[in-house]
Amino acid sequence: MGNSTLLTSAGTLPQTLTPFPISRIATRYLLFDVHAVTYARREHNICGVLIGTIPHLSQQNVFLGIPLELMPEEARLLVEHGHAYIIDEVEAHKTGLLDMSRKDQLAFLQAMDKQGMEIAAESKKKAEERSQKALQGRGMARRARENTASRVSETADSSAKQRLADGDDECSVFEAEPRSPSPAPSHPPLAVERHFITPTISYPPLQTPNTTPTLSLPEVSKTYPLFAFLHSKGYFITPGLRFGCHYTVYPGDPLRFHSHFLATGADWDEEIDLLDIVGGGRLGTGVKKSYLIGGADTRRENASGAGSNAGDGVRAFSIEWAGL
Amino acid sequence: MATSLQPAHPVLPAPSRLTTHLLTSANANANASTVASHPPHLHHLARQIQHNLQHQHAWTALRLHTHVSGTDKPLPRPMLSGLAPVRLYVHPDEQVELLREAGKKRDEGVGGGNEEGVGEGKLDVVVEPEREWVLPTRLSEKWSLRRLAEVFDCVGVVPPGVEDEEGEGSQNMWRKRKRVVLATVDGDSTVVYYIVHDGVVKPRQN
Repeated sequence: MGNSTLLTSAGTLPQTLTPFPISRIATRYLLFDVHAVTYARREHNICGVLIGTIPHLSQQNVFLGIPLELMPEEARLLVEHGHAYIIDEVEAHKTGLLDMSRKDQLAFLQAMDKQGMEIAAESKKKAEERSQKALQGRGMARRARENTASRVSETADSSAKQRLADGDDECSVFEAEPRSPSPAPSHPPLAVERHFITPTISYPPLQTPNTTPTLSLPEVSKTYPLFAFLHSKGYFITPGLRFGCHYTVYPGDPLRFHSHFLATGADWDEEIDLLDIVGGGRLGTGVKKSYLIGGADTRRENASGAGSNAGDGVRAFSIEWAGL
Repeated sequence: MATSLQPAHPVLPAPSRLTTHLLTSANANANASTVASHPPHLHHLARQIQHNLQHQHAWTALRLHTHVSGTDKPLPRPMLSGLAPVRLYVHPDEQVELLREAGKKRDEGVGGGNEEGVGEGKLDVVVEPEREWVLPTRLSEKWSLRRLAEVFDCVGVVPPGVEDEEGEGSQNMWRKRKRVVLATVDGDSTVVYYIVHDGVVKPRQN
Protein backbone atom coordinates (compact mmCIF):
# COMPACT_ATOMS: atom_id res chain seq x y z
CA MET A 1 0.00 0.00 0.00
CA GLY A 2 1.42 3.32 -0.90
CA ASN A 3 -0.34 5.06 1.92
CA SER A 4 1.21 7.31 4.48
CA THR A 5 0.11 5.02 7.27
CA LEU A 6 2.24 2.20 6.03
CA LEU A 7 5.38 1.84 7.93
CA THR A 8 8.91 1.35 6.91
CA SER A 9 9.59 -1.36 9.44
CA ALA A 10 7.38 -3.29 11.78
CA GLY A 11 7.07 -1.91 15.25
CA THR A 12 7.69 1.73 14.54
CA LEU A 13 4.70 3.94 14.23
CA PRO A 14 5.00 7.15 12.30
CA GLN A 15 4.55 10.26 14.34
CA THR A 16 1.07 10.70 12.96
CA LEU A 17 -0.05 7.43 14.50
CA THR A 18 0.98 8.03 18.08
CA PRO A 19 -1.25 8.01 19.98
CA PHE A 20 -2.83 5.12 18.17
CA PRO A 21 -6.53 4.27 18.23
CA ILE A 22 -7.98 1.40 20.22
CA SER A 23 -11.26 0.18 18.80
CA ARG A 24 -14.00 -0.42 21.27
CA ILE A 25 -16.53 -2.91 20.00
CA ALA A 26 -19.18 -4.06 22.44
CA THR A 27 -17.08 -3.52 25.57
CA ARG A 28 -14.04 -5.21 24.05
CA TYR A 29 -10.88 -3.31 23.27
CA LEU A 30 -9.23 -4.34 20.04
CA LEU A 31 -6.23 -3.44 17.93
CA PHE A 32 -6.54 -4.15 14.24
CA ASP A 33 -3.30 -2.66 13.00
CA VAL A 34 -0.41 -5.08 13.24
CA HIS A 35 1.97 -2.18 13.60
CA ALA A 36 0.11 -0.85 16.59
CA VAL A 37 0.20 -4.37 18.03
CA THR A 38 3.95 -4.73 17.73
CA TYR A 39 4.48 -1.16 18.82
CA ALA A 40 2.44 -1.56 21.98
CA ARG A 41 4.27 -4.75 22.82
CA ARG A 42 7.73 -3.46 22.16
CA GLU A 43 7.47 0.04 23.50
CA HIS A 44 4.86 -0.22 26.20
CA ASN A 45 5.08 -3.83 27.41
CA ILE A 46 1.46 -4.42 26.46
CA CYS A 47 0.89 -7.91 25.09
CA GLY A 48 -2.85 -8.39 24.83
CA VAL A 49 -4.20 -11.57 23.35
CA LEU A 50 -4.44 -12.33 19.65
CA ILE A 51 -7.94 -13.56 18.92
CA GLY A 52 -8.25 -13.57 15.13
CA THR A 53 -8.80 -16.81 13.27
CA ILE A 54 -9.05 -17.45 9.56
CA PRO A 55 -12.71 -16.93 8.62
CA HIS A 56 -12.93 -20.17 6.66
CA LEU A 57 -10.95 -22.19 9.17
CA SER A 58 -12.24 -21.02 12.47
CA GLN A 59 -11.27 -24.29 14.12
CA GLN A 60 -7.68 -23.38 13.42
CA ASN A 61 -7.00 -21.77 16.76
CA VAL A 62 -3.41 -22.71 17.43
CA PHE A 63 -1.94 -19.72 15.69
CA LEU A 64 -4.15 -16.72 16.05
CA GLY A 65 -3.74 -13.40 14.35
CA ILE A 66 -5.13 -9.91 14.53
CA PRO A 67 -7.20 -8.44 16.04
CA LEU A 68 -5.48 -8.19 19.35
CA GLU A 69 -7.80 -8.00 22.30
CA LEU A 70 -6.62 -5.87 25.17
CA MET A 71 -7.66 -6.33 28.75
CA PRO A 72 -9.60 -3.28 29.94
CA GLU A 73 -6.65 -2.64 32.25
CA GLU A 74 -4.26 -2.54 29.31
CA ALA A 75 -6.50 -0.23 27.31
CA ARG A 76 -6.95 2.07 30.25
CA LEU A 77 -3.27 2.20 31.03
CA LEU A 78 -2.40 3.09 27.43
CA VAL A 79 -5.02 5.82 27.43
CA GLU A 80 -4.02 7.19 30.82
CA HIS A 81 -0.42 7.47 29.72
CA GLY A 82 -1.41 9.18 26.47
CA HIS A 83 -0.14 6.42 24.20
CA ALA A 84 -3.54 5.59 22.76
CA TYR A 85 -7.14 6.66 22.70
CA ILE A 86 -10.43 4.86 22.48
CA ILE A 87 -12.75 5.13 19.52
CA ASP A 88 -16.22 3.72 19.33
CA GLU A 89 -15.72 1.61 16.25
CA VAL A 90 -19.37 1.29 15.20
CA GLU A 91 -19.93 4.99 15.44
CA ALA A 92 -16.70 5.80 13.68
CA HIS A 93 -17.54 3.54 10.77
CA LYS A 94 -21.03 4.91 10.39
CA THR A 95 -20.02 8.52 10.38
CA GLY A 96 -16.81 7.91 8.53
CA LEU A 97 -18.37 6.05 5.64
CA LEU A 98 -21.37 8.31 5.33
CA ASP A 99 -19.30 11.45 5.43
CA MET A 100 -16.82 10.21 2.87
CA SER A 101 -16.89 12.24 -0.32
CA ARG A 102 -17.44 10.58 -3.70
CA LYS A 103 -14.00 11.69 -4.76
CA ASP A 104 -12.37 9.97 -1.80
CA GLN A 105 -14.31 6.80 -2.42
CA LEU A 106 -13.22 6.67 -6.05
CA ALA A 107 -9.67 7.41 -5.13
CA PHE A 108 -9.69 4.59 -2.62
CA LEU A 109 -11.20 2.13 -5.10
CA GLN A 110 -8.60 3.10 -7.67
CA ALA A 111 -5.85 2.68 -5.14
CA MET A 112 -7.18 -0.78 -4.35
CA ASP A 113 -7.31 -1.64 -8.06
CA LYS A 114 -3.78 -0.47 -8.56
CA GLN A 115 -2.61 -2.47 -5.62
CA GLY A 116 -4.44 -5.51 -6.96
CA MET A 117 -2.71 -5.17 -10.30
CA GLU A 118 0.66 -4.86 -8.62
CA ILE A 119 0.09 -7.96 -6.57
CA ALA A 120 -1.14 -9.89 -9.56
CA ALA A 121 1.88 -8.91 -11.61
CA GLU A 122 4.14 -9.82 -8.76
CA SER A 123 2.62 -13.24 -8.27
CA LYS A 124 2.70 -13.93 -11.98
CA LYS A 125 6.36 -13.03 -12.11
CA LYS A 126 7.03 -15.34 -9.20
CA ALA A 127 5.12 -18.17 -10.86
CA GLU A 128 7.13 -17.77 -14.03
CA GLU A 129 10.38 -17.74 -12.14
CA ARG A 130 9.30 -20.87 -10.33
CA SER A 131 8.41 -22.74 -13.48
CA GLN A 132 11.62 -21.69 -15.13
CA LYS A 133 13.60 -22.91 -12.20
CA ALA A 134 11.78 -26.20 -12.23
CA LEU A 135 12.46 -26.61 -15.92
CA GLN A 136 16.11 -25.81 -15.36
CA GLY A 137 16.23 -28.41 -12.67
CA ARG A 138 15.10 -31.00 -15.17
CA GLY A 139 17.60 -29.89 -17.74
CA MET A 140 14.94 -28.37 -19.89
CA ALA A 141 16.27 -24.88 -19.57
CA ARG A 142 16.89 -24.63 -23.27
CA ARG A 143 13.28 -25.07 -24.08
CA ALA A 144 12.27 -22.68 -21.36
CA ARG A 145 14.68 -20.14 -22.69
CA GLU A 146 13.42 -20.60 -26.17
CA ASN A 147 9.90 -20.16 -25.00
CA THR A 148 10.65 -16.91 -23.29
CA ALA A 149 12.97 -15.83 -26.05
CA SER A 150 10.35 -16.38 -28.70
CA ARG A 151 7.89 -14.45 -26.65
CA VAL A 152 10.08 -11.40 -26.38
CA SER A 153 11.72 -11.77 -29.77
CA GLU A 154 9.85 -8.84 -31.21
CA THR A 155 10.99 -6.43 -28.56
CA ALA A 156 14.34 -7.86 -27.48
CA ASP A 157 17.39 -6.62 -29.31
CA SER A 158 19.99 -8.82 -30.89
CA SER A 159 22.51 -8.48 -28.07
CA ALA A 160 20.11 -10.02 -25.65
CA LYS A 161 19.62 -12.90 -28.04
CA GLN A 162 23.36 -13.28 -28.31
CA ARG A 163 23.67 -13.51 -24.55
CA LEU A 164 20.93 -16.08 -24.38
CA ALA A 165 22.70 -18.12 -27.00
CA ASP A 166 25.98 -17.88 -25.09
CA GLY A 167 24.25 -19.04 -21.99
CA ASP A 168 22.97 -22.12 -23.75
CA ASP A 169 26.44 -23.21 -24.71
CA GLU A 170 27.45 -23.67 -21.11
CA CYS A 171 26.16 -26.25 -18.76
CA SER A 172 22.99 -24.55 -17.74
CA VAL A 173 21.93 -27.10 -15.16
CA PHE A 174 24.03 -25.60 -12.41
CA GLU A 175 23.62 -22.05 -13.45
CA ALA A 176 22.87 -20.08 -10.34
CA GLU A 177 20.82 -17.41 -11.99
CA PRO A 178 20.06 -16.34 -15.50
CA ARG A 179 22.64 -13.93 -16.68
CA SER A 180 20.23 -12.12 -18.84
CA PRO A 181 17.60 -10.21 -17.04
CA SER A 182 14.46 -12.22 -16.97
CA PRO A 183 12.29 -10.86 -19.72
CA ALA A 184 9.05 -11.16 -17.79
CA PRO A 185 9.28 -8.10 -15.54
CA SER A 186 10.30 -5.74 -18.29
CA HIS A 187 7.41 -7.08 -20.25
CA PRO A 188 4.20 -5.25 -19.46
CA PRO A 189 1.75 -7.74 -17.97
CA LEU A 190 -0.68 -8.21 -20.75
CA ALA A 191 -3.37 -10.56 -19.59
CA VAL A 192 -2.82 -10.42 -15.87
CA GLU A 193 -5.99 -10.87 -13.93
CA ARG A 194 -6.33 -8.34 -11.20
CA HIS A 195 -6.37 -9.54 -7.62
CA PHE A 196 -9.18 -8.26 -5.50
CA ILE A 197 -7.98 -6.74 -2.29
CA THR A 198 -9.82 -7.08 0.96
CA PRO A 199 -8.27 -4.51 3.25
CA THR A 200 -7.72 -5.71 6.77
CA ILE A 201 -7.86 -2.28 8.35
CA SER A 202 -10.33 0.54 7.92
CA TYR A 203 -7.97 3.46 8.34
CA PRO A 204 -7.64 4.39 5.48
CA PRO A 205 -10.07 4.76 3.73
CA LEU A 206 -11.61 6.10 6.88
CA GLN A 207 -10.03 9.15 8.35
CA THR A 208 -8.52 8.47 11.71
CA PRO A 209 -10.93 10.14 14.10
CA ASN A 210 -9.71 13.07 16.08
CA THR A 211 -7.99 12.29 19.31
CA THR A 212 -10.24 14.23 21.63
CA PRO A 213 -11.08 11.93 24.50
CA THR A 214 -14.78 11.78 23.86
CA LEU A 215 -15.12 8.33 25.34
CA SER A 216 -14.63 7.81 29.00
CA LEU A 217 -11.77 5.68 30.27
CA PRO A 218 -12.27 1.93 30.08
CA GLU A 219 -13.93 0.54 33.15
CA VAL A 220 -11.58 -1.66 35.08
CA SER A 221 -11.85 -3.99 38.02
CA LYS A 222 -10.51 -3.31 41.48
CA THR A 223 -7.27 -5.07 40.55
CA TYR A 224 -6.24 -2.21 38.28
CA PRO A 225 -3.94 -0.50 40.82
CA LEU A 226 -1.92 -3.70 41.11
CA PHE A 227 -1.78 -3.97 37.33
CA ALA A 228 -0.58 -0.39 36.94
CA PHE A 229 1.93 -0.87 39.75
CA LEU A 230 3.47 -3.96 38.20
CA HIS A 231 3.47 -2.38 34.75
CA SER A 232 5.25 0.69 36.09
CA LYS A 233 7.99 -1.62 37.31
CA GLY A 234 8.54 -2.87 33.78
CA TYR A 235 6.79 -6.20 34.07
CA PHE A 236 4.79 -7.76 31.24
CA ILE A 237 1.35 -8.82 32.35
CA THR A 238 -0.94 -11.38 30.80
CA PRO A 239 -4.25 -12.78 32.01
CA GLY A 240 -3.85 -15.24 34.84
CA LEU A 241 -6.71 -17.66 34.44
CA ARG A 242 -4.50 -20.64 33.70
CA PHE A 243 -2.87 -20.25 37.11
CA GLY A 244 -6.00 -19.31 38.96
CA CYS A 245 -5.02 -15.71 39.57
CA HIS A 246 -5.71 -12.33 38.07
CA TYR A 247 -2.44 -11.76 36.26
CA THR A 248 0.59 -13.74 35.26
CA VAL A 249 3.57 -11.43 35.58
CA TYR A 250 6.68 -11.76 33.42
CA PRO A 251 10.00 -10.00 33.99
CA GLY A 252 10.38 -9.50 30.22
CA ASP A 253 8.62 -10.40 27.03
CA PRO A 254 6.63 -13.61 27.62
CA LEU A 255 8.22 -15.09 24.50
CA ARG A 256 11.60 -14.91 26.18
CA PHE A 257 10.94 -15.34 29.90
CA HIS A 258 9.10 -17.56 32.29
CA SER A 259 6.74 -15.69 34.54
CA HIS A 260 7.80 -14.72 38.03
CA PHE A 261 4.53 -14.02 39.76
CA LEU A 262 0.97 -15.14 39.98
CA ALA A 263 -0.68 -11.90 40.99
CA THR A 264 -4.01 -11.41 42.65
CA GLY A 265 -5.38 -7.99 43.39
CA ALA A 266 -7.51 -7.03 46.34
CA ASP A 267 -8.91 -3.97 48.00
CA TRP A 268 -7.08 -2.67 51.00
CA ASP A 269 -9.66 -3.93 53.47
CA GLU A 270 -10.95 -6.84 51.46
CA GLU A 271 -11.06 -10.03 53.47
CA ILE A 272 -8.61 -12.62 52.23
CA ASP A 273 -9.09 -16.23 53.16
CA LEU A 274 -5.86 -17.68 54.49
CA LEU A 275 -6.61 -20.81 52.51
CA ASP A 276 -6.31 -18.72 49.34
CA ILE A 277 -2.89 -17.49 50.39
CA VAL A 278 -1.76 -21.00 51.25
CA GLY A 279 -3.19 -22.40 48.00
CA GLY A 280 -1.71 -19.65 45.87
CA GLY A 281 1.66 -19.92 47.57
CA ARG A 282 1.72 -23.65 47.15
CA LEU A 283 0.67 -23.55 43.51
CA GLY A 284 3.13 -20.78 42.72
CA THR A 285 6.06 -22.54 44.33
CA GLY A 286 5.14 -25.72 42.47
CA VAL A 287 5.63 -23.93 39.18
CA LYS A 288 8.68 -21.94 40.31
CA LYS A 289 6.82 -18.71 40.79
CA SER A 290 5.81 -16.47 43.64
CA TYR A 291 2.23 -15.80 44.57
CA LEU A 292 1.75 -12.07 44.81
CA ILE A 293 -1.12 -10.25 46.43
CA GLY A 294 -1.42 -6.52 46.36
CA GLY A 295 -3.67 -3.53 46.27
CA ALA A 296 -3.84 0.21 46.67
CA ASP A 297 -3.02 1.40 50.14
CA THR A 298 -5.88 3.73 50.93
CA ARG A 299 -3.92 5.40 53.72
CA ARG A 300 -1.22 6.55 51.33
CA GLU A 301 -3.68 7.40 48.58
CA ASN A 302 -5.43 9.87 50.81
CA ALA A 303 -2.15 11.38 51.87
CA SER A 304 -0.71 11.87 48.39
CA GLY A 305 -3.82 13.34 46.80
CA ALA A 306 -5.92 12.41 43.81
CA GLY A 307 -3.61 13.54 41.03
CA SER A 308 -1.30 10.56 41.28
CA ASN A 309 -0.93 7.56 39.04
CA ALA A 310 -2.98 4.44 39.60
CA GLY A 311 0.15 2.45 40.37
CA ASP A 312 1.22 4.73 43.21
CA GLY A 313 0.69 3.69 46.77
CA VAL A 314 0.30 0.03 45.98
CA ARG A 315 1.53 -2.44 48.54
CA ALA A 316 2.30 -5.96 47.42
CA PHE A 317 3.41 -9.12 49.18
CA SER A 318 5.23 -12.05 47.59
CA ILE A 319 4.44 -15.46 49.01
CA GLU A 320 6.44 -18.66 48.65
CA TRP A 321 6.31 -21.99 50.36
CA ALA A 322 8.83 -22.06 53.19
CA GLY A 323 9.78 -25.68 52.68
CA LEU A 324 9.15 -26.69 56.27
CA MET B 1 -19.49 -47.00 72.07
CA ALA B 2 -22.30 -47.34 74.52
CA THR B 3 -22.48 -44.52 76.99
CA SER B 4 -23.59 -46.79 79.80
CA LEU B 5 -20.16 -48.35 79.93
CA GLN B 6 -18.56 -45.08 80.90
CA PRO B 7 -18.00 -44.44 84.59
CA ALA B 8 -20.26 -41.95 86.27
CA HIS B 9 -17.39 -39.62 86.96
CA PRO B 10 -15.08 -39.80 83.95
CA VAL B 11 -11.44 -39.35 84.74
CA LEU B 12 -9.82 -36.82 82.46
CA PRO B 13 -6.73 -38.06 80.69
CA ALA B 14 -3.45 -36.45 81.57
CA PRO B 15 -2.90 -33.22 79.65
CA SER B 16 -0.86 -33.55 76.47
CA ARG B 17 2.60 -32.14 76.12
CA LEU B 18 1.19 -29.26 74.11
CA THR B 19 -1.47 -28.48 76.68
CA THR B 20 1.11 -28.58 79.41
CA HIS B 21 3.31 -26.30 77.37
CA LEU B 22 0.47 -23.84 76.82
CA LEU B 23 -0.60 -23.89 80.46
CA THR B 24 2.85 -23.49 81.91
CA SER B 25 3.78 -20.73 79.51
CA ALA B 26 0.53 -18.97 80.31
CA ASN B 27 1.26 -19.23 84.02
CA ALA B 28 4.78 -18.07 83.51
CA ASN B 29 3.53 -14.96 81.82
CA ALA B 30 0.61 -14.45 84.15
CA ASN B 31 2.13 -11.63 86.07
CA ALA B 32 4.09 -10.20 83.17
CA SER B 33 2.80 -7.12 81.46
CA THR B 34 2.85 -8.91 78.12
CA VAL B 35 -0.36 -10.80 78.72
CA ALA B 36 -2.39 -7.68 79.08
CA SER B 37 -1.50 -6.51 75.60
CA HIS B 38 -3.19 -9.36 73.74
CA PRO B 39 -6.08 -11.74 74.37
CA PRO B 40 -5.05 -15.16 75.69
CA HIS B 41 -6.09 -17.09 72.58
CA LEU B 42 -3.48 -15.24 70.56
CA HIS B 43 -0.88 -16.05 73.17
CA HIS B 44 -1.89 -19.69 73.02
CA LEU B 45 -1.66 -19.60 69.25
CA ALA B 46 1.86 -18.22 69.37
CA ARG B 47 2.86 -20.82 71.97
CA GLN B 48 1.41 -23.59 69.86
CA ILE B 49 3.43 -22.49 66.84
CA GLN B 50 6.49 -22.15 69.04
CA HIS B 51 5.99 -25.70 70.25
CA ASN B 52 5.70 -26.95 66.69
CA LEU B 53 8.79 -25.11 65.54
CA GLN B 54 10.83 -26.24 68.49
CA HIS B 55 9.93 -29.90 68.50
CA GLN B 56 9.03 -30.69 64.91
CA HIS B 57 11.41 -28.44 63.04
CA ALA B 58 14.25 -28.19 65.56
CA TRP B 59 14.25 -24.42 65.69
CA THR B 60 16.32 -22.80 68.39
CA ALA B 61 16.51 -19.44 70.12
CA LEU B 62 12.77 -19.04 69.85
CA ARG B 63 11.45 -15.84 71.36
CA LEU B 64 7.98 -14.49 71.83
CA HIS B 65 7.52 -10.85 70.90
CA THR B 66 4.57 -8.85 72.07
CA HIS B 67 5.79 -5.33 71.48
CA VAL B 68 7.60 -3.51 68.74
CA SER B 69 11.22 -3.81 69.74
CA GLY B 70 12.48 -0.90 71.76
CA THR B 71 9.04 0.62 72.26
CA ASP B 72 5.95 -0.08 74.34
CA LYS B 73 3.75 -0.23 71.25
CA PRO B 74 2.09 -3.65 71.08
CA LEU B 75 2.41 -5.75 67.96
CA PRO B 76 -0.88 -6.57 66.16
CA ARG B 77 -0.54 -9.98 67.79
CA PRO B 78 2.21 -11.89 69.59
CA MET B 79 4.87 -12.97 67.13
CA LEU B 80 7.83 -15.28 67.30
CA SER B 81 11.39 -15.12 66.16
CA GLY B 82 13.77 -17.99 65.95
CA LEU B 83 16.67 -19.68 64.30
CA ALA B 84 16.02 -22.52 61.86
CA PRO B 85 18.57 -25.38 61.87
CA VAL B 86 19.33 -24.64 58.21
CA ARG B 87 18.84 -21.46 56.29
CA LEU B 88 15.16 -21.08 55.47
CA TYR B 89 15.40 -18.62 52.62
CA VAL B 90 18.14 -17.87 50.12
CA HIS B 91 17.49 -15.02 47.74
CA PRO B 92 18.10 -16.09 44.11
CA ASP B 93 20.79 -13.43 43.67
CA GLU B 94 22.53 -14.60 46.83
CA GLN B 95 22.29 -18.16 45.58
CA VAL B 96 24.10 -17.23 42.40
CA GLU B 97 26.83 -15.57 44.45
CA LEU B 98 27.12 -18.53 46.83
CA LEU B 99 27.40 -21.00 43.97
CA ARG B 100 30.05 -18.87 42.32
CA GLU B 101 32.09 -18.78 45.51
CA ALA B 102 31.67 -22.48 46.10
CA GLY B 103 32.77 -23.17 42.54
CA LYS B 104 35.82 -21.01 43.01
CA LYS B 105 36.70 -22.82 46.21
CA ARG B 106 36.32 -26.20 44.58
CA ASP B 107 38.54 -25.20 41.70
CA GLU B 108 41.20 -23.97 44.08
CA GLY B 109 40.99 -27.22 46.00
CA VAL B 110 40.68 -25.43 49.31
CA GLY B 111 39.54 -27.79 52.04
CA GLY B 112 39.41 -30.68 49.60
CA GLY B 113 42.09 -32.48 51.68
CA ASN B 114 40.87 -35.81 52.91
CA GLU B 115 37.71 -35.88 50.80
CA GLU B 116 39.58 -35.47 47.56
CA GLY B 117 38.52 -38.82 46.23
CA VAL B 118 34.96 -38.78 47.49
CA GLY B 119 33.84 -35.22 46.97
CA GLU B 120 35.46 -34.67 43.60
CA GLY B 121 33.60 -31.93 41.79
CA LYS B 122 31.11 -31.48 44.58
CA LEU B 123 30.03 -27.98 45.45
CA ASP B 124 30.22 -27.13 49.10
CA VAL B 125 27.82 -24.26 49.63
CA VAL B 126 28.04 -22.72 53.06
CA VAL B 127 24.98 -20.84 54.26
CA GLU B 128 24.60 -19.61 57.78
CA PRO B 129 21.11 -19.91 59.26
CA GLU B 130 19.33 -16.66 59.94
CA ARG B 131 16.80 -15.52 62.48
CA GLU B 132 13.30 -15.30 61.08
CA TRP B 133 10.11 -13.57 62.05
CA VAL B 134 7.15 -15.89 62.47
CA LEU B 135 3.55 -14.72 62.28
CA PRO B 136 1.16 -17.23 63.89
CA THR B 137 -2.29 -17.46 62.29
CA ARG B 138 -5.27 -19.78 62.30
CA LEU B 139 -6.69 -21.06 59.06
CA SER B 140 -10.16 -19.93 60.06
CA GLU B 141 -9.05 -16.31 60.20
CA LYS B 142 -9.65 -13.75 57.51
CA TRP B 143 -6.80 -11.41 56.73
CA SER B 144 -6.55 -8.32 54.62
CA LEU B 145 -3.81 -6.33 52.94
CA ARG B 146 -4.17 -3.71 55.64
CA ARG B 147 -3.54 -6.17 58.44
CA LEU B 148 -0.58 -7.72 56.64
CA ALA B 149 0.85 -4.25 56.09
CA GLU B 150 0.38 -3.43 59.76
CA VAL B 151 2.37 -6.49 60.72
CA PHE B 152 5.17 -5.57 58.34
CA ASP B 153 5.20 -1.99 59.56
CA CYS B 154 5.89 -3.26 63.07
CA VAL B 155 8.78 -5.59 62.34
CA GLY B 156 12.32 -4.93 61.26
CA VAL B 157 14.25 -6.63 58.51
CA VAL B 158 16.00 -8.87 61.00
CA PRO B 159 14.38 -9.87 64.31
CA PRO B 160 16.10 -8.51 67.39
CA GLY B 161 18.38 -11.26 68.58
CA VAL B 162 19.15 -12.47 72.03
CA GLU B 163 21.50 -9.97 73.61
CA ASP B 164 24.70 -11.95 73.03
CA GLU B 165 23.82 -12.46 69.37
CA GLU B 166 23.12 -8.80 68.76
CA GLY B 167 24.68 -7.42 65.63
CA GLU B 168 24.94 -10.63 63.68
CA GLY B 169 21.81 -9.85 61.70
CA SER B 170 23.19 -7.05 59.61
CA GLN B 171 25.89 -9.20 58.12
CA ASN B 172 23.93 -10.59 55.21
CA MET B 173 23.97 -7.91 52.54
CA TRP B 174 21.35 -9.79 50.51
CA ARG B 175 18.72 -9.42 53.17
CA LYS B 176 17.16 -6.10 52.26
CA ARG B 177 13.45 -6.74 52.27
CA LYS B 178 11.33 -7.50 55.28
CA ARG B 179 10.17 -11.05 55.40
CA VAL B 180 7.93 -12.95 57.73
CA VAL B 181 7.23 -16.65 57.95
CA LEU B 182 3.47 -17.04 57.91
CA ALA B 183 2.59 -19.99 60.12
CA THR B 184 -0.97 -21.19 59.61
CA VAL B 185 -2.44 -23.82 61.89
CA ASP B 186 -5.57 -25.79 61.13
CA GLY B 187 -7.94 -27.34 63.65
CA ASP B 188 -6.10 -30.66 63.47
CA SER B 189 -2.94 -28.79 64.54
CA THR B 190 -1.30 -29.18 61.14
CA VAL B 191 0.96 -26.18 60.66
CA VAL B 192 2.06 -24.89 57.27
CA TYR B 193 4.75 -22.29 56.75
CA TYR B 194 4.93 -19.73 53.97
CA ILE B 195 7.46 -17.00 53.44
CA VAL B 196 5.87 -13.62 52.87
CA HIS B 197 8.02 -10.81 51.53
CA ASP B 198 7.18 -7.17 51.77
CA GLY B 199 7.12 -6.00 48.15
CA VAL B 200 7.84 -7.61 44.80
CA VAL B 201 10.54 -10.20 45.32
CA LYS B 202 11.40 -12.60 42.54
CA PRO B 203 10.94 -16.31 43.18
CA ARG B 204 13.64 -18.71 44.21
CA GLN B 205 15.32 -20.95 41.69
CA ASN B 206 14.61 -24.29 43.23
